[in-house]
Amino acid sequence: MKTPDLGRVDAHEKVTGTASYGADRVPDDLAYAMFAVATIGKGRTVSIDTAAAEAVPGVRLVLTRFDEDELRGPGFLMGGGFAFQSLQPLLSDVVAYRGQPIALIVADTLVAATEAADLVRARYEIEPFAVGIDDEGATSVLQEEALPWFPDVKVGDAETAYAASPVQIDETYLHPAQHQVPMELISSVVQWKGDRLVVHESTQNAGALRHGVAAQLNLDPADVDVISPYIGGGFGSRNALQPHIGPLALAARRLRRPVKLVIPRRQTFHTGSFRPVSRHRIRLGADPSGRLLAALHDADHQTSRHDLYPAMYTEITSRLYAVPNFGGRQRLVQTDVQTPGFMRAPNEGPASFAFESAVDVLAYATGQDPVELRLANDTATDPVTGLPFSSRHLAQCLTRGAERFGWQKRDPRPGSMRAADGSLVGLGVAVGAHPVLVAPAVARMSAGADGRVTVGVDGHEMGQGIRSAIALLVAQDLGVPVQDVVVRVGDTRVAPQHLTAGAWGTATALPAVHKALRELRKRLGAGDTGTVEVAAAVRATGHGSPEVEVTSVGPGQPPEMLDRSRAGLFSAAGPVFPDFTAFSWAAHFVEVRIEATTRRIRVPRALCVADCGRVASPVTAASQVRGGVIWGISEALRESSEVDPRFGGFLNTTLEEYPVAVNADIAEIDFDFIDEPDLLLSEVGVKGLGELTMIGVAAAVANAVFHATGQRQNRLPIRIEDVM
Amino acid sequence: MMKTSPTAGRPAGLVETAFTVNGEQVRFELDPRESLLDVLRERLVLTGTKKGCDQGHCGACTVHIDGRRVVSCLTPAVQVAGRDVTTIEGVAAPDGTLHPLQQAFVDCDALQCGYCTPGQVMSGLACLAEGHTETDGDIREYMSGNLCRCGAYIGITAAIRRVADQTKQTEV
Amino acid sequence: MRSFAYVVPDSVAGAVDALAAAEPGTKILAGGTTLYDLMKLGVEAPPAVIDIHRLAELTEISTGEGELSFGAGAKMAEVADHPVVRRDYPALSESLWRAASQQLRNMATVGGNLLQRTRCGYFRGGAEFGCNKRDPGSGCAALEGLDRTHALLGASDACIATYPGDWAVALIAFDAELDVVGPRGERTLPLGDLHVEPGDNPVLEHTLAADELILRIRVPATPAGRGSTYHKIRDRESYAFALTSAAAAVTLDAQGTVTDCRIGLGGVATRPWRATAAERSLLGEQLTMGTARHAGEVAFADARPVRTGAFRVELGIRTVTDALLTAGKQAAR
Repeated sequence: MKTPDLGRVDAHEKVTGTASYGADRVPDDLAYAMFAVATIGKGRTVSIDTAAAEAVPGVRLVLTRFDEDELRGPGFLMGGGFAFQSLQPLLSDVVAYRGQPIALIVADTLVAATEAADLVRARYEIEPFAVGIDDEGATSVLQEEALPWFPDVKVGDAETAYAASPVQIDETYLHPAQHQVPMELISSVVQWKGDRLVVHESTQNAGALRHGVAAQLNLDPADVDVISPYIGGGFGSRNALQPHIGPLALAARRLRRPVKLVIPRRQTFHTGSFRPVSRHRIRLGADPSGRLLAALHDADHQTSRHDLYPAMYTEITSRLYAVPNFGGRQRLVQTDVQTPGFMRAPNEGPASFAFESAVDVLAYATGQDPVELRLANDTATDPVTGLPFSSRHLAQCLTRGAERFGWQKRDPRPGSMRAADGSLVGLGVAVGAHPVLVAPAVARMSAGADGRVTVGVDGHEMGQGIRSAIALLVAQDLGVPVQDVVVRVGDTRVAPQHLTAGAWGTATALPAVHKALRELRKRLGAGDTGTVEVAAAVRATGHGSPEVEVTSVGPGQPPEMLDRSRAGLFSAAGPVFPDFTAFSWAAHFVEVRIEATTRRIRVPRALCVADCGRVASPVTAASQVRGGVIWGISEALRESSEVDPRFGGFLNTTLEEYPVAVNADIAEIDFDFIDEPDLLLSEVGVKGLGELTMIGVAAAVANAVFHATGQRQNRLPIRIEDVM
Repeated sequence: MMKTSPTAGRPAGLVETAFTVNGEQVRFELDPRESLLDVLRERLVLTGTKKGCDQGHCGACTVHIDGRRVVSCLTPAVQVAGRDVTTIEGVAAPDGTLHPLQQAFVDCDALQCGYCTPGQVMSGLACLAEGHTETDGDIREYMSGNLCRCGAYIGITAAIRRVADQTKQTEV
Repeated sequence: MRSFAYVVPDSVAGAVDALAAAEPGTKILAGGTTLYDLMKLGVEAPPAVIDIHRLAELTEISTGEGELSFGAGAKMAEVADHPVVRRDYPALSESLWRAASQQLRNMATVGGNLLQRTRCGYFRGGAEFGCNKRDPGSGCAALEGLDRTHALLGASDACIATYPGDWAVALIAFDAELDVVGPRGERTLPLGDLHVEPGDNPVLEHTLAADELILRIRVPATPAGRGSTYHKIRDRESYAFALTSAAAAVTLDAQGTVTDCRIGLGGVATRPWRATAAERSLLGEQLTMGTARHAGEVAFADARPVRTGAFRVELGIRTVTDALLTAGKQAAR
């Protein structure tokens, strides 16, 4: 069954400005908050002078310290807690990193709060700090020792097999720190309604916000509502409790007023997570024909002093090809930063850049065509577990892509192709994979006498189109117009709202919705398939609006996972399920043109062929591909969070100095879907797409730059000075 | 005559400022520090205009002043005294019918998360009015002041192209 | 932001009077894109601002015989799209539309843009970073810092901040002049005399007195205008400051010999930079890849490369080369 081409169901709200994001509420008697932040790299505050801030007319509160009884630590998301980092500012005099909040100001107006925040002055005791992974004072631990539950992938005896390989490739790659910079600033409006706390914040994890702030403030989670119907871009930056919520809620309670905080763009570079620096040594052993015999992937991965943010690079690099011997070793390097975290394709982006660049080196070393070499190393089974892949159409992605892209016209010799204007032309290929994870979900569905069907489910709408995919599934299943389907997501009042990330959102929500549809059909006395005249069926039941509630878990997940999810805890599972391993797959083809003289690198066309299972919503899926490829281009050619080691923190903390791709950077992006449902995974057959579409793009760009120039690019971003 | 706010030391006084927003007259006592963006969002609750950087780097806050697109975050609100401000809320017809460019954004799926979209629409309307639509390259160049982190650029360019072509046909 | 008094004069004369009577540190507000931004950052904290953006006297544009004249209050977008400027002085038009975004160009004025302040991250970043321009005597954090986009020409041990503008770079190549007014009346100065290098006092960026304001910019008519271009190399295709840029204008005789040549450099110097020696190197020569490249090398002969920005010397040479060749093609039309 192919999904019809229906549009985005919430597009109307978005083009009229009526979609409501976190800060788009202005309740009566609203007060405005602002943070003052630390201006040193690390140390302690000796004293904080707030007198000038307090003297600003309209200032109501200047808070520099909370009691541990009123504000508890939130716990680290990846350590059984709720927050992007364990460190809660304003609980002690410790300054762990530049940009850490040291005071919260609340005032009647935004100008007063802002002026007052600028007037807070702290005296510090400065301690030595290290921000870069090679800086003196950075310390490292082996992940498998520090976090045994995130083990390195090891198959066979990779060192020995590599040493015995006739062809050896040994390359090291550096991926910079990057920031998610969604267009919407981190912002919240918090409001007490009696003892009930209502939080309006654009979040990918309303469940963790609810339970996290409840734990921090010693509230019953049932007394906390988190409302997040739209998110102005997530990309991982909003996937956990942020440390401003607790202080904001306490301030609102003291003042008995609703409080709004919109964190300034500059501060967002330090108040939330980021993609950490990573370094990857890739060793490939192969026979003279390019058949892989061994692969070793050693990664150094930046984390903070206070949390061990795990690396999972080898999860995909061990599965791209039929590699009989694989050796992963991941080292965590502790530095003086806020805890890094997830950013679109958090592990897979850097890992594929490194590994797929090395595979291109292998292709040239063995005289093989890069597409053919990849096809020759294809595998139907997971080399790590020996289980079958639930579905893997990667070879088809490559062959279909090569045909569509015109790969045959490529002269493989570096520097051999020129455009009419004298630009160097390079064509590059790389593949990507993303693990399929599935989380538990709760879906509630009701049908009204007006014929409308309302569905509330775990999931957050952040532009990926989950609302559209859900509405489409319901509309198609029941044969009702899509306009008659009301979808409520991102709202703790309708479902637990487990984290939506890792591209599992749609794959998690749809099976629950599918199950709810089966139950609703029963309640409506309808058969399991076929069109349902909803209004008539509702009237025929004779009692109001039938409502059903169902739960679902991922394949092989025990039902107790629902309890974790209901407690706001991380509960996704995969990609290894009892009977199979599940990944989505993609092949990327990129053309670069490099000016003959001033060496600007442009990407006139790119192609992504994706195996994401069934395409749940063609229109939004197409946009997901274009957006993902643009992210990959921006990752490869633009983005880097810069550090001045003398000061700590990040320096280029504006959208001017942190250059993301603009409209003029983007030309043609073509795509194709395999569109084969993965029915081992679920009845709806959907795998993930949102992250997959950028995974491999950076390597394809780097490989294309090599093809154009003969210069390998082992460090991102690739800029003019790298190809002069 | 010179208008001036009281200068006798800080804090400086408020400035009475009147202007129209989407055709309706408004009047405020403004602190001269307030940006047009914050006045629109926090005083008029016209929250379709978005704050993405507050520094003139992203275009999410684009509105029209006397028909020209500007970033409202770098516009002190006192500067719009007597001007006509148009925001995204003033674009669709009073009966709710979308403007052709809004409809083209829907049809071309020129958006994902939707946060930059009001700014893109306001900027796109101005791009059309200015006539910077001769080629797709022109559209891309003149729409580069509106960042879209989701990467909906291809749809945005297509939507503006569609309306530009419709307009051209109508004129012919 | 610190609060300030907001003054709205209704004439240029009124503005001059208000400025003369104002507290020290009072600033003129036109488009606001630099001043209001820096006030938000706390880099500027004037006690009062005098808003001149409504003064119609300042917005006249004329393109009559002999010279072009742009009122200081004309918007960048308006001048960029002016048909005569586009046709006869492409470098001027391009320097404007390749700057910022259309929204900002609709706000910023051509007079205010001349005095746009540097985008150095340490200058804008806050009090924790040493910056002799923002806080005299506090040092220059950029000297030992992230200096990829800092000045190669005209820098000092006190400051290596790059002048960020484009428009002034094109204007300086065309010998533009400014009419300014103050309590002592009007005066005229060459644009080349407006900006100063940082030396040991980076606070001082220009030669206008505190009580003067720019009335208009005048550009003497020249046939070199038609054979001109503004070439700008950035980290992305649009909406970014220059890594390197060059305004180039040439006049060729019937044999293709260069009889007039103008070169301005942007993104590489502490002020709009006129490359006069490079201009001279081309006079009497045929314009070829070789002579254009040589002119580029002469233009950067005195470049003092900073550490991570050193690639911009070669990039700048190539930018000048390409700009000259493009200008030559324009001139030969």
